[in-house]
Amino acid sequence: MSPSRVSKVQLLMVMLLLVVLQFYLRPRLWDARVSPDFLLVALMLFAMRTSPGIAALAGFVVGLIADTLTPARFGAGALAHTLVGYLGSWGRSVFFADNILVNAAFVAAGLWFRDLIVLVSSGTDYRQVVTELTLYSPLQALTTAGFALVVLVTFRSMFSIRLDA
Amino acid sequence: MVSASDRRYTRRDTVLFVLCLGLSFFGLFSPAPTGHAVADKLRQTVLSPLVWLQTRAEEGRTSRVRFRQVTTERDSTAYLAQFLPSLRAENERLRQLLRLSRRLNTGYVPAEVLHQPQVMDGRTLLLSAGRKQGVSVFSPVVSPEGLIGVVLSVSSQSSIAMSWAHPEFRVSAFTVTGNAFGVVAPSNEGRNGEGALEFRGVPYRDSVPLGTLVLSSGLGGVFPKGVPVGTVIGVVREEAGWERVYRLRPAANPGSAAHVLILVGGRTSDLGPAFPTDSQLEALRLDSIARLRRADSVAQAVRAARAARRDSLKRTSPLQGGGAPSSPILGGNPAALPSLRDSAQ
Repeated sequence: MSPSRVSKVQLLMVMLLLVVLQFYLRPRLWDARVSPDFLLVALMLFAMRTSPGIAALAGFVVGLIADTLTPARFGAGALAHTLVGYLGSWGRSVFFADNILVNAAFVAAGLWFRDLIVLVSSGTDYRQVVTELTLYSPLQALTTAGFALVVLVTFRSMFSIRLDA
Repeated sequence: MVSASDRRYTRRDTVLFVLCLGLSFFGLFSPAPTGHAVADKLRQTVLSPLVWLQTRAEEGRTSRVRFRQVTTERDSTAYLAQFLPSLRAENERLRQLLRLSRRLNTGYVPAEVLHQPQVMDGRTLLLSAGRKQGVSVFSPVVSPEGLIGVVLSVSSQSSIAMSWAHPEFRVSAFTVTGNAFGVVAPSNEGRNGEGALEFRGVPYRDSVPLGTLVLSSGLGGVFPKGVPVGTVIGVVREEAGWERVYRLRPAANPGSAAHVLILVGGRTSDLGPAFPTDSQLEALRLDSIARLRRADSVAQAVRAARAARRDSLKRTSPLQGGGAPSSPILGGNPAALPSLRDSAQ
């Protein structure tokens, strides 16, 4: 098995770990509105290492999971995650995001942008949108970015590859 | 210049992106039932492991919360249980106080002792009754066990009492047998940090056996006669062959007293009967139990007689055709009832 394939398998394992954390650890954490979104971390880290099309597809899948498991409007999550995945992949090439802090910042921005699209496309009340985007989304973006930083530092060697290379 | 592979790569990305966007919009603008049906299908099939995982996590979290709740409840119960013995003790003291108030032949004012977190607490006590309740200076303060002290100063709603532990406290006293008189004062040689009293000025010829109860004599006009002060537990010293000083175990403990009675309304002749000894109290208790048992048995006999009478009336009723001979026990002789009623009363 080539080193590249080993790294891809390892990366897949990390993604799987994040999925498990999302559904097993997150419900046990504090308030769900500010606890880190592990699926978004997985999507962003994956998107920044793959082509925009694949990232959009991954975003669509993640969004579909979100739409299926949350009572928000069906399709809103898929749309938001598709856009976030696609833009995340494009953003990497624009910002040369090799720095882990920039990666974490991407994750935070992606979460806030995802929330904006979900709230708007769900037809949420204006005041609630403002509250969510100014209070809860920044807090959750902060915790999610912090966790993404931990993942990047812990699995630094695995995240040094480009999946579309 | 863009190579053919790069163009294909870009075209594929665009196609995928547009496809995903299209599907998302389709889901977004499709009727709600359709969206729910798709979501239900996905939840039951592909996402069922994730739902199962989340369910386990939620169960774990609620179990933890429930465990914390149960632990909190257990701790609260244990905390409350700690106070049960003290509550029982306080109830018993209050009952004793009530019994004492019934036995007293003088006026009294009940008061709470407001203990202070000071080292001197016990020598002087702050009481919750004052001038408005009829308390005056030099009013004796007693508890069910015996003498606590005397009121030193009075304000409108509260008063300060000097307990027997105060160095300036003195009370004229005599032994319950009546053969020795003296003055009781606080001792400077308390054992194990507990306060003690000295029975001073007892003539050398009047020996007092251990365990003798010492009561206030009523001389001096401050304390009434017959209030228990302490019990003789030893001899402190003998002075030059003409006086003995005895050590007394105090009858009442001002440090632990929570409720007291302040005696008002003049001096009375003798309060001795209001403070019965332990053996007298036990006799009273047994007597009251015997009286209760007697009352119970009489009431039971009355009930049995009434039931028997109802039964006999039914049997002797012409409608029922009864004609059985009646017996006094079964209620056949109504004349027996008045005597039973009399005995019940």
